[in-house]
Amino acid sequence: MAEDLVLDTAIRDWVLIPLSVVMVLIGILRYFVSKLMRSFQVPDPKIVKEGQVIVRARNLRAAANFIPPKSFRSRRVYFSNEENGLLFVPKGQAQNAQAQMFSDPNMAMDMMKKNLSMIIPQTLTFAWVNFFFSGFVAAKIPFPLTQRFRSMLQNGIDLSTVDVSYVSSRSWYFLNLFGLRGLFSLILGEENATDDTQRMMQMSGFGFDPSKSLGAEKDGLDIVQHEWALPKFEHRAEAVLKKLVS
Amino acid sequence: MVSKTEETQLNRLENQVDNGGGGAWDYLCLARKLKVRRPEKVLKYGLSILNDSKKRSALGPGEWTLYEQVAIAAMDCQCLDVAKDCIKILQKKFPESKRVGRLEGMLLEAKGLWAEAEKAYSSLLEDNPLDQVIHKRRVAMAKAQGNISAAIEWLNKYLEIFMADHDAWKELAEIYVSLQMYKQAAFCYEELILSQPTVPLYHLAYADVLYTLGGLENLQTAKKYYASTIDLTGGKNTRALLGICLCTSAIGQVPKGRNKEDKESLELQSLAAKALEKDYKQRADDKLGLLTSALRSLKI
Repeated sequence: MAEDLVLDTAIRDWVLIPLSVVMVLIGILRYFVSKLMRSFQVPDPKIVKEGQVIVRARNLRAAANFIPPKSFRSRRVYFSNEENGLLFVPKGQAQNAQAQMFSDPNMAMDMMKKNLSMIIPQTLTFAWVNFFFSGFVAAKIPFPLTQRFRSMLQNGIDLSTVDVSYVSSRSWYFLNLFGLRGLFSLILGEENATDDTQRMMQMSGFGFDPSKSLGAEKDGLDIVQHEWALPKFEHRAEAVLKKLVS
Repeated sequence: MVSKTEETQLNRLENQVDNGGGGAWDYLCLARKLKVRRPEKVLKYGLSILNDSKKRSALGPGEWTLYEQVAIAAMDCQCLDVAKDCIKILQKKFPESKRVGRLEGMLLEAKGLWAEAEKAYSSLLEDNPLDQVIHKRRVAMAKAQGNISAAIEWLNKYLEIFMADHDAWKELAEIYVSLQMYKQAAFCYEELILSQPTVPLYHLAYADVLYTLGGLENLQTAKKYYASTIDLTGGKNTRALLGICLCTSAIGQVPKGRNKEDKESLELQSLAAKALEKDYKQRADDKLGLLTSALRSLKI
């Protein structure tokens, strides 16, 4: 259909703006609730130690050329030797980390709390939008779309001849859901629990797996060829001094 | 370590507050952020803010961090009553707090009651075995009591877990040097160079330790590290220049094992000597005679 539908300005006043305001308010509410519910997690000493080992091994790899070859070799053996090297993880233990995370009751509770604080408000708001704001055209999307989007964007509108650019309030809800993230980081500062999209991405790439990173560091360390940079420095010092003295 | 701009900013603020220009709160915040140790000034200005109830309420939640900062400064200046008052106020506000517990332990330390302080720290560590600051306080206490071997033991245990903490490595290196355990000190300095390869201080200290250890290989390595210090500081470090001269003459005195590398290094030594003479002429002309006679005795 080529003609434009004229939409009542009352729609803007009573649908679009209230919906956005409500979503902002719910976001702020969730932020404060999550701050209240956050429990203090005691860091596991083994994990802290492994984190530090990784930092030290990485430093060794990065600056290996600055220390004498003998010290580098002795450190490499210390890290990667078969029996008690710090980075060496026997195959059996490698899969432990994930299983541990699920069985540890504290961590499971934490994850559940975080998930709940995200899912429940979303579900409620979605149900509310569907109940109150369905059955009419809410807005027009400025670019044309194909017919496939009709079922997604026009849930209450049962006329099949309406242009797909005219959408219902459900799509306005989704637009707000993903778009208000920037607004929240302005209002609430950097760390806010409303960062749903980030959290969803985090959930898919699951968990801190220390054993894998240890193995990766060990491989990296084995590869490094030590090329002592210090002899070059003597020549450079000569050049510096020549310039200084002349 | 504090950068140069931050240091100038701090000094400027300090001068401003000293001359009655206000800005005490900014000075205190900056001192806290940079972790510099200026107890008298912090105590004076902190107390002036805390005793004035109008200024105190203007601070809001920053008031409690100011109490903590003033308590630590008071302990540094041995004004233990002031410290005790501050800690009491904090205790009333935050009962059962680990941070306040740590301040109490420090107060016991300041009074010299080592056993009670040790007990306080151990109980705090039981609740939270990964608290870095308390571990370090235990090391500091052992060192203050003169029990250096216990300090070394605690510090080693700390470093087994937190091996990326370069301040701890620095402290350990200094302790080893004070005990003349140079091989271990060399290891610590190597760790420091690994974590921060562009800081010339560590190269210099490492070269000093290697030179002290002696032996042809160590002397050659020390010379290389003095050279890298010169490179990193643009030739301005007098100690490194003198180090080069000393190393070259020491290598010359070793009866065997010289190779062609050392022939090139003679040029480095003469350049270093020339740079030293120039520097002394500019900055300490009257001592130039001492320098030239010392250098002459070194040249083989």
